Amino acid sequence: MASTDEQIIAELGLRRERSWSIYDYPNLIRAASVLCFLSAWEIYGRRTDPLLLTYPTAVLSAALQLIGTGELPRQLMASLLTLGVGFVLSVVLGVGFGLIMGRSRIAEAALDPHMNALYATPQVALIPLFMMWFGLGFTVKAAIIFLFAFFPILINTASGVKNVGASMVEVGRAYMASHRQILLKIIFPAALPFIMSGVRIAIGRAIVGMVVAELFTAITGLGAMLTLYGNLFETAKMFVVIIVFGLLGVALIRATQALENRMARWKETERAIQ
Amino acid sequence: MALNALEETALRDLDLARARTFRPTDHLGLIRGASVVAVILLWEFFGRDVNPLFLSYPSAIARATVQLLAAGEFQRQALGSLQVYAIGLSAALALGIFLGLLMGRYRLAEYLLDPYVYALDATPRVALIPLLLLWFGLGASARIAVVFLSGIFPVLMNTFSGVRTVSAGLVEVGRAYGAREDKIFTKIIIPASLPFIMAGIRLAVGRALIGIITAEMFAAVTGLGALLIRYSSALATDKFFVPVIFLSLLGVVLSRAVEALERKMAPWKKTERAL
Repeated sequence: MASTDEQIIAELGLRRERSWSIYDYPNLIRAASVLCFLSAWEIYGRRTDPLLLTYPTAVLSAALQLIGTGELPRQLMASLLTLGVGFVLSVVLGVGFGLIMGRSRIAEAALDPHMNALYATPQVALIPLFMMWFGLGFTVKAAIIFLFAFFPILINTASGVKNVGASMVEVGRAYMASHRQILLKIIFPAALPFIMSGVRIAIGRAIVGMVVAELFTAITGLGAMLTLYGNLFETAKMFVVIIVFGLLGVALIRATQALENRMARWKETERAIQ
Repeated sequence: MALNALEETALRDLDLARARTFRPTDHLGLIRGASVVAVILLWEFFGRDVNPLFLSYPSAIARATVQLLAAGEFQRQALGSLQVYAIGLSAALALGIFLGLLMGRYRLAEYLLDPYVYALDATPRVALIPLLLLWFGLGASARIAVVFLSGIFPVLMNTFSGVRTVSAGLVEVGRAYGAREDKIFTKIIIPASLPFIMAGIRLAVGRALIGIITAEMFAAVTGLGALLIRYSSALATDKFFVPVIFLSLLGVVLSRAVEALERKMAPWKKTERAL
């Protein structure tokens, strides 16, 4: 604030202290809202049939029990392993095919009708087919996660590569860069912001793929726990699994965003297709 | 390639050959068509050799389509699914836009609701399906709830961030001219955030479709999702592909329709992209 303003305020003897406002403490409002909700749930939940609705303290004790018996950590690790394998596979193949489709118009013309058709199909509908092909084990889950995560990465990579300025490639070629150097030193870094936003979209979809795959195969993983406890009407334990899924979703999306900011720092306004 | 008169004369003077050699990049449409035909033919040839339980082939799928359509079973289930989809999605759009406007405009609403909105938005909604089936049973209401929950968050989040990007200057001007709160909403805030809302609707349409199929597959009683489970359990792979193809066409048609609506309703949108 300029000194003249200060002088005027002092001369006029204006009051400068603001009255206390609730909007200065948004977290207070949030906490009050959550606390009200949890108390109402606790009171109402205790009076309803425990088969249908549980209550917060029951969820908490179920969580401690599931962690204590080691069931939750074990199933979480099983889920994360399939997620990791399926996701890494989709990043590798998605970026690879995306680079090819972005660079070669012939490859693009030959591949994109099929890719678009597969992308347009709601991928959950293909799960029964995958179960016929790959059985109920680890393979089918990794394959379903791959199916869910592959297309956003492929499409974003291809559009990122197509967006690389022709002049940059021309300069590289003028300085006698080899094909490999052009790809690795010019095109890949320039397309990286697009690739990373593809990865961010893909991680969310991979989690959905993991949940759906485990719900249907219902043998291992967090999704299987959900099916099992649903059939046993153990609602409190179902809530534990749902909360773990929520935390997992937040953690993985945050991690990808952090990676995106780190790896593609030059990204400013570019937004890839959704 | 268009040449100007000077270039034409130069070429004639130099007597250069102008006939261009065949280049594949000039015939991309041809490559595209050839690729589709090649895949269908290969599928037909190899699909016939593979055990029909694992992979069907195009002509068998075409036969199954005719058979299912003649029996009328497919249309009945598809209609049932579409009704549930329409009800759930309309509810999601209505409430999503309403809450998004409320949270974007009033800080009290924002702080009261955003813990739940963020928490539910981060949870994969498919994980809620077993719980919703437990609460609502196997009838239409459970499926409506799944469609609703799948569709509401993209609309709500996009409306919310759309309202927040409406410049305060616009609202101030409205208020300075004595506009009432309802006028500020209908004449300033909604038109200004419409591109965001439409982008949210586009996302919601796709998510809700996935939601209803998953719910129907999990409950396995009615609808297209139940047909998928029924045909795959019966190992009728040719019939299985009929709902799959229908669903992918439906996905394309719906997203095209929303894009057309988006262009019609928010033509001033150029560079804005949603979350």
